[in-house]
Amino acid sequence: MTEGVSEELKEKVLKYLGTVSKAKNRDVARAVEVEKALVDKAIAELAKEDKIEYIYLGTSYIQLKQ
Amino acid sequence: MADRDTPLINNLEDGPWPSYVKEIKRAAKKNAAAKDLLGVQELSFKDKITHWKHGGIVGVTGYGSGVIGRYVDVPEEFPAVEMFHTMRINMPSGWFYTTDALRKICDIWEKYGSGLTNFHGSTGDIILLGTDTKSLQPCFDELTEAGFDLGGSGSALRTPSACVGPARCEWACIDTLDICNNLTQEFQDEMHRPRWPYKFKIKVSGCPNDGVAAIARADFTIIGTWRDSLRIDQDEVRRYVKNGFDIKGIVTDKCPTKALAWDEKAQKLNLRADDCVRCMHCINKMCKAIRPGLDRGATILIGGKAPIIKGAYLSWVLVPFMKMEPPYDEAKELLHKIWEWWDENGRTRERVAELIERMGLKTFLRAVDLKPLPQMVYRPRANPYVFFD
Amino acid sequence: MGKSDIGPPSYKKMLPAVIEKNYGKWKYHEITKPGVLRHVSESGDEVWTVRAGSPRLVSIDFIRDICDIADKYCDGKLRFTSRSNVEFMTPKKENVEPIIAAVQKLGLPVGGTGKAISNIVHTQGWAHCHSAATDSSGLVKAIMDELYPYFTSMKLPAKLRVALACCINMCGAVHCSDIAIVGIHTKPPKVDNSKVSAVCEIPTTMASCPTGAIRKNPDPNVKGLVVNEEKCMYCGNCFTVCPAMPLADSTGDGVAIYVGGKVSNARHTPMFSRLAIPYLPNNPPRWPEAVNAIKNIVEVYAKHALPDERMGEWIDRVGWENFFKLTGIPFTEYHIDDFTHGIDTYRTTTQFRW
Repeated sequence: MTEGVSEELKEKVLKYLGTVSKAKNRDVARAVEVEKALVDKAIAELAKEDKIEYIYLGTSYIQLKQ
Repeated sequence: MADRDTPLINNLEDGPWPSYVKEIKRAAKKNAAAKDLLGVQELSFKDKITHWKHGGIVGVTGYGSGVIGRYVDVPEEFPAVEMFHTMRINMPSGWFYTTDALRKICDIWEKYGSGLTNFHGSTGDIILLGTDTKSLQPCFDELTEAGFDLGGSGSALRTPSACVGPARCEWACIDTLDICNNLTQEFQDEMHRPRWPYKFKIKVSGCPNDGVAAIARADFTIIGTWRDSLRIDQDEVRRYVKNGFDIKGIVTDKCPTKALAWDEKAQKLNLRADDCVRCMHCINKMCKAIRPGLDRGATILIGGKAPIIKGAYLSWVLVPFMKMEPPYDEAKELLHKIWEWWDENGRTRERVAELIERMGLKTFLRAVDLKPLPQMVYRPRANPYVFFD
Repeated sequence: MGKSDIGPPSYKKMLPAVIEKNYGKWKYHEITKPGVLRHVSESGDEVWTVRAGSPRLVSIDFIRDICDIADKYCDGKLRFTSRSNVEFMTPKKENVEPIIAAVQKLGLPVGGTGKAISNIVHTQGWAHCHSAATDSSGLVKAIMDELYPYFTSMKLPAKLRVALACCINMCGAVHCSDIAIVGIHTKPPKVDNSKVSAVCEIPTTMASCPTGAIRKNPDPNVKGLVVNEEKCMYCGNCFTVCPAMPLADSTGDGVAIYVGGKVSNARHTPMFSRLAIPYLPNNPPRWPEAVNAIKNIVEVYAKHALPDERMGEWIDRVGWENFFKLTGIPFTEYHIDDFTHGIDTYRTTTQFRW
């Protein structure tokens, strides 16, 4: 299921997350202007690589691993 | 961690119903956190408020779900429960277990946690109650070695659940256990890495008796049903009547559409099949004689939820009949369309039913490519305020 | 990093042999006595089930105890129901009484079938939850001690489903139960402005309020929030988003009782539970006010409902006016719905009972 996720996209996601305190996948997809399904996959990979983490403030967000 | 007196909760060791206080005490013999939990529970009984706090970032690598951070608000008094996190473990469909599997979970939880559990939590997961942050990852690693994985939490797909279904029920019109297991396996990423406005639940009931309360508790409700006629075994019907069964009082008078009538003279139970709304009452009362039809599938309904925020909803009919054969592509495709629309348009903590109410069922149906059908409503609108476009 | 996203183990590995063999082939069932089911297959095979009540919050030793029973009589397999009961299944009729004896030796009741009160579905309460307005396990224990004879018998007009949620978040989704017990707050959140800016997001917290009661603090020197107390209906949504707005209160918190809901489509369509008693105090360890109120409702229902009539169907037949008369519960302004879908409940006919 991870076909099509490039290192370049993951870099873009990390770069965007560096500019905000937290975000939802939807916000990331809009910011990097890539289809959301693909961004979801990139975020899953980044989570497994321990580069991002999840927080819950009434709804769930992602952020760069502190 | 001196032994404390807990007179208020000790009161709940008495009485005929099995006592959870005794259970906490059993765990407390081996575990300091369970022992402190007794003290916290006693303090809450005295103060009449909770002493737990939520928040913080806790979890296992790669996941945003399945662990709920929990902290006591009086850690100086109860240091062993300063951290008392919950782990949600995805149960097997239908809550069937081998004792080997259960014993493995118990051994792992004895090693890493308080030894206290819920079998099961409201959504259906095995709930492992109380551990500290550093134990989460090793506990999770051992659980996955034993074949178990975390369930959902946060703004994610929550652990799907299903009634006992064809495993031990003659009324199951769909394979609830396989559907539940198949969807759970398909949507692991949606469960474990929360991304949506809020939670989303899927529940699968095998018949309109709705044994897992799917219509009230699931955003995506799958209820088994049939399109052809009830099957009636007239010999068995006569056997019921001969044994003194009040077929008129118990069955035909209670049929909501008066589709059934008992012909005393001909000793025959007559059915006007077109009027049957498949409520299950006659089947429930005479299961040896009346059975669901054979052209089986599911009614899909959307939106069931508890009150937060805009009020409670029962699910609304979305697809009156869908065949449910593996790999369930039609249902999966529909789910993807629903999630895409909801994720694009939903506000923070807005469930899908609330979004449908805010934006209109018409808009929703267009987004998921479904045509309006009279089965979706009780009655059409009475007002003239139609938007023509 | 170890395995990830393996999902739950397949149910197929967990099924008793008789279940696996007769999967999808069951023909009919009967309840031979309270807590004992006999399912018969098209193949002629049968499976006997013994259903036992559980406190749900249990130690691992409890799980090991029930595993011992399953190892001895059920080839090492067992299951749980959606209401936290334990079910022991065996193709051998001669195992039924020994299973019952073993279950009772553990102090567990056998029952919860047919026209009974099954186990109470409930939430975490003061044992584990940050937003609980009442306890769950304790209150459930107090209620089930009183309703115990209804679990072990089948003497009610129909099944009676009781559920308890310790706050209106209702993670136990109790809102369609014959009797729903709901923990409620009755006082607005106490804003701790010294913490708000540190632990909460101000716009998110304001947006979380369904009635728009939360505003920025008008004092420019205070970076925080204020609550318009007249608009607050104590839902606690803001507290979930912002921990600096607790609403737990020793005297204000209590329970409300809702009745007449159902999820089954049998006869009447599914129904929401509706408000019977707006507020009863938290009075641990036995909650006598709540327990007595519930017992009264059960007894009035048992006396007046016709066979097979669920609570909501009985009330539907006799009218809410008679429900309040027969139970002696006062009808108050709190019972009139003034929330979003409220006007649908106002009576638009001259048909009613005196």
